[in-house]
Amino acid sequence: MAGDRTVQEKIAGYLESKLPRAKDLALSDFVHSAGGWSHEIYLFYANWIEDGRAMRQGFCLRKDPGAGLLRELSSLREQFGVIKALEATPAPTPKAYWYEEDPSLLGGPFFVMEKVEGDVPNPWSRAGKQFYAEAAKRGKLPRSFIEALAALHNLDWRAAGLDFLGVPGAGKDFVLREIAKWESLIHQSSRKPEPVLTELLMWLKANAPEAKRLGFVHGAYRTGNLIIHDDAIAAVIDWELQVIGDPMYDVAYVLSDLNREGSPLLSCVVEREFFLDYYQQLTGLTVDLEVCRYYEILYMMRSTAFWLSASGLFADGRNKDLRLARTTYSVPVVLDMAAKALGF
Amino acid sequence: MIPATQLLNEIVTSLREVIAPAVADPYPKAQAYMAAVILEFVVRQVQERSDIEARKHEVMLELVGDLTPLPGMNGLVRGDHLSEEGLCDLIEHLYAARDRLGAETFAVANRRVREALRQLLNQDLKVAGKAEG
Repeated sequence: MAGDRTVQEKIAGYLESKLPRAKDLALSDFVHSAGGWSHEIYLFYANWIEDGRAMRQGFCLRKDPGAGLLRELSSLREQFGVIKALEATPAPTPKAYWYEEDPSLLGGPFFVMEKVEGDVPNPWSRAGKQFYAEAAKRGKLPRSFIEALAALHNLDWRAAGLDFLGVPGAGKDFVLREIAKWESLIHQSSRKPEPVLTELLMWLKANAPEAKRLGFVHGAYRTGNLIIHDDAIAAVIDWELQVIGDPMYDVAYVLSDLNREGSPLLSCVVEREFFLDYYQQLTGLTVDLEVCRYYEILYMMRSTAFWLSASGLFADGRNKDLRLARTTYSVPVVLDMAAKALGF
Repeated sequence: MIPATQLLNEIVTSLREVIAPAVADPYPKAQAYMAAVILEFVVRQVQERSDIEARKHEVMLELVGDLTPLPGMNGLVRGDHLSEEGLCDLIEHLYAARDRLGAETFAVANRRVREALRQLLNQDLKVAGKAEG
């Protein structure tokens, strides 16, 4: 598309400014990915001559489109800070290169990171489900899935400098903060009152558990947010919802039915018992299934907030992506799951 | 849910301003523009399902009727009918008054509210496709 060619030229110009020794820099394999809902994603290789040698490097550029999903809850600056902080840790993440706030460059803030080699099979597609089911039988990917999560939860997040994310107080503070965050999104995006959602929110507040331990939590750890190469997790991506909080919050997300759409495998890739055993072995944590059940219900509230925000952006005319319009019909479906979980 | 006519109008805009201009091949491009034109006619044909709103109104009337006689509900249930916004307020007030009402009354009221919520949800699910329409 003509628009993309212009973006491509701008990106090439930007890279030249960041790589002053590069000569004859050109981009190849340029893809404007349709994958992201919240950001524009560009994947490409830069090819240049440096000190007489031919150089080639893959990059991923993530740009704020201005009216994307979760704009109120996450910033590109924070995402860049997290990926940068994780570089020196065992957590598999891309290298972070540059963050730019200046909208005159590409029309909005953006950052550039390493293009990690591998694929992100879509777990909601037939081909993706088949890939994960076959990988599960081979056995390497399920182990890697758990090892990458354990690497995040075993992190010394203070030493990594991740406390800039905000550190909850003792007891119920983490959960109540999380509820407040999503409730705020609901209030910003809800177009009409949803009494079932109100009951869900009130129940969550009245039954909030205490976090027994704080850790670095991804917030959306599942297949689809992981780059896979040679049946192993090459990188954890989609750093938008990370928090310092209860590691059980991530565990509950893995355990949740929300992320497997009929597959008998957690996140379409790992057996439940194996996940629980191996995760506990790697982290030394005991999975509290009762607390995880609570968090699963919280995720249903979170999904509802997410869909309300998505459909609201479309309904307000702020974002023309038809995928957002579709989500208006997801709201009653997720609320139905929540109501059943609460016994009605 | 977004009202059907509003949703259709937004899709028309998307077809006309985003999708069709981005299609290079003349035939699918014309198809996209034509889909927008047809949907504009469809907008005029579509009516929101009034039966759903009518049933919701009945559900909330019945709820008020059942809650009003419960002990301690004075002040929590106002008037003889509820809007969905009013039902949200009622739920919040019920939880806030939980200690004053006592565990037993709260449980009875909450159970009755949840019965109503299930009926309201079933109305929305008629459109969202997970229940019998």
